[in-house]
Amino acid sequence: MTEAPTVALRGCSKRFGERIALRRVTLTVHRGETLALLGPNGSGKSTLLRLVAGLSWPTAGDVEIDGVAATRLARASRGALGYLGHQTQAWRGLTARENLTVMADLHRLDAPVVAAALATVGLADRGEDRIDGFSRGMRQRLAIARTLLHDPTLLLADEPTTGLDTDGLAMLDDVLERRRGDATVLLATHDEAFAARHADRVVRLAGGEIVA
Amino acid sequence: MTKRAFPGATWMAVSTFAIPLSIALIFWWLPDDADQGFSQKIFYLHVPIALTTYAAFAYGAYAAVRYLRSRDAVWDLRSYVGIHVGTIFGTLVLVTGSLWAKVSWGLWWNWSERQLNVFLVLFLYYCAYFMLRFSIDEGERRATYSAVYTLLGIALVPLSFLAVRLLGSIFHPTVFTHEGAQMPGTFLLGFLVALAGMLALAVAMVQLELRGKRAALRVRELRRRLVGDDL
Amino acid sequence: MIGAALTLAGKDLRLELRRREVVLGMAQFVIVTLVIAHFALVAVGDRQLPKAAAGVLWIAVLFTALLALGRAFAADHEDGALDAVLIAPIDRGAIWLGKVLAQLTFLAAMEVVAVPAFWLFFFQTSGPDIRALLAALVLANVGIASVGVLVSALAQAGRARDVLLPVLLLPLLVPLVLAAVVATLGSFPGGDGSVRALGFLALFDTLFVLLAWGTYEHLSGD
Repeated sequence: MTEAPTVALRGCSKRFGERIALRRVTLTVHRGETLALLGPNGSGKSTLLRLVAGLSWPTAGDVEIDGVAATRLARASRGALGYLGHQTQAWRGLTARENLTVMADLHRLDAPVVAAALATVGLADRGEDRIDGFSRGMRQRLAIARTLLHDPTLLLADEPTTGLDTDGLAMLDDVLERRRGDATVLLATHDEAFAARHADRVVRLAGGEIVA
Repeated sequence: MTKRAFPGATWMAVSTFAIPLSIALIFWWLPDDADQGFSQKIFYLHVPIALTTYAAFAYGAYAAVRYLRSRDAVWDLRSYVGIHVGTIFGTLVLVTGSLWAKVSWGLWWNWSERQLNVFLVLFLYYCAYFMLRFSIDEGERRATYSAVYTLLGIALVPLSFLAVRLLGSIFHPTVFTHEGAQMPGTFLLGFLVALAGMLALAVAMVQLELRGKRAALRVRELRRRLVGDDL
Repeated sequence: MIGAALTLAGKDLRLELRRREVVLGMAQFVIVTLVIAHFALVAVGDRQLPKAAAGVLWIAVLFTALLALGRAFAADHEDGALDAVLIAPIDRGAIWLGKVLAQLTFLAAMEVVAVPAFWLFFFQTSGPDIRALLAALVLANVGIASVGVLVSALAQAGRARDVLLPVLLLPLLVPLVLAAVVATLGSFPGGDGSVRALGFLALFDTLFVLLAWGTYEHLSGD
């Protein structure tokens, strides 16, 4: 496993048309650190995570992962990235297992990894069902399985608790704790208790700016 | 930035000199064409404008490549301005070409005139460029997507020429060609002066529009700063 | 690269087999277009009809291809699955190649219906040279799919993506259509062969495959 990376944002801004989603954010996430981004809806948490994932270009400023611009990561470094977005990032016509198998193939992982991931998130007996019929919580479990499939050393999670029931929350707590220290983690959440449980450090966002 | 009251002034001066000179040469000095007579004189405007259009599009494509390599927004602007000026000249090509067709063949549009048809395809393609550009919000994505679309033109231009040359004759045997016509020295001079004038005009237009666009961006930036929206 | 492309293409084909959103619609659309064209050409005499038909075939194929290309990324955008694919450690070119392979399959499936119908509506007695027509179809499909997928990805970024796709794509395909029509005419009885047009199609494919593959990596992010 490669060493967990450092994430650095410098003077990062993102504008969507006339709306400013992020305003001059400077932030460093250290190697192996778990940082929670706390803030209400629309505070810019998701935008920030998409910038770090390299899925979005900053309007101004730099986003770097171990010194390389996030949008220009080499193939191998992208493979170390796990992004749990606010969408479930699954294909609705496929079964849970097929969804994970596609991603496992792209990461060049074997079938046992898929079975293990399904078991971890408690979907072992639902693997052959098409996810059209899944509840939001079950889809979130699948999304968690997909994110952790390749054991990322940089984990970006956007409101990871969305839709999860008590069991699901316990599972999420468990997988996050198991990775603590081994991976650099950015958690975006509005849940103070959840942030307090997992984060080494908390940063508060409001209106696209760091407020504390 | 150097303070010049009028960007492109030099080139504008060259073109204001060369274009009237070329018109004078064409209409008063050059003899009428043996076959087509007076109407052939539009050749000396039509072809330089067409070549200038290609030059402007080529500049737009070159700037698009530079943009994708550097991600510097100024190249995106240059690419856009190059294509914009090219489209303006392209409109003139279609107008002069169709005038020439009307006089030569009695038809406003001649589907067997190969160069004109190539031009029509390119014109539609570059019009689509503006559709793409104006339907994406400003930012790096718009710049990148516009640049990628521009690059497709690099294959489209030679392929369109080849297509009408290789294949077009099957439908419409070519009755008349003006390319490869022998141009005696005096004709060549008129042609070159017109070409120089058109190219200088295009360069001046590009510089002027770039300055205007930059000024507009600067004004917007200042206006945003004024309302405390300082990005 | 090839492995990832096959995985992604396989995923698209499996989705299509389950949902049947695209190919059946394409087959119906192409038949209806051919029928309409036949009625629209009612004033064309029997002897001229086959010549006009070559153009009809390619207009029908092209517009039908737009249906599939417009939906090419629909399932990937539905729940943001494209994000996961973009982050995966694969060449971005593999995403393009995977889509092209899936689109080629859809086009081929549609043409299996379209070509016999075309023959039935416009010829019946004497048929075209099947090998030459097949070559034209295969080469044109490669061009349509490779440019089409790239342009479809471009159009996704725009606000009016449904309008944008044909406006962006059709001018680029003019040379291809011209060559495909000439090749088709050459394959008809009494046609003088179509080697030159087929060669042109191969050149078109080569240039645009290289360009599309080389530029696709830039198309990610918002």
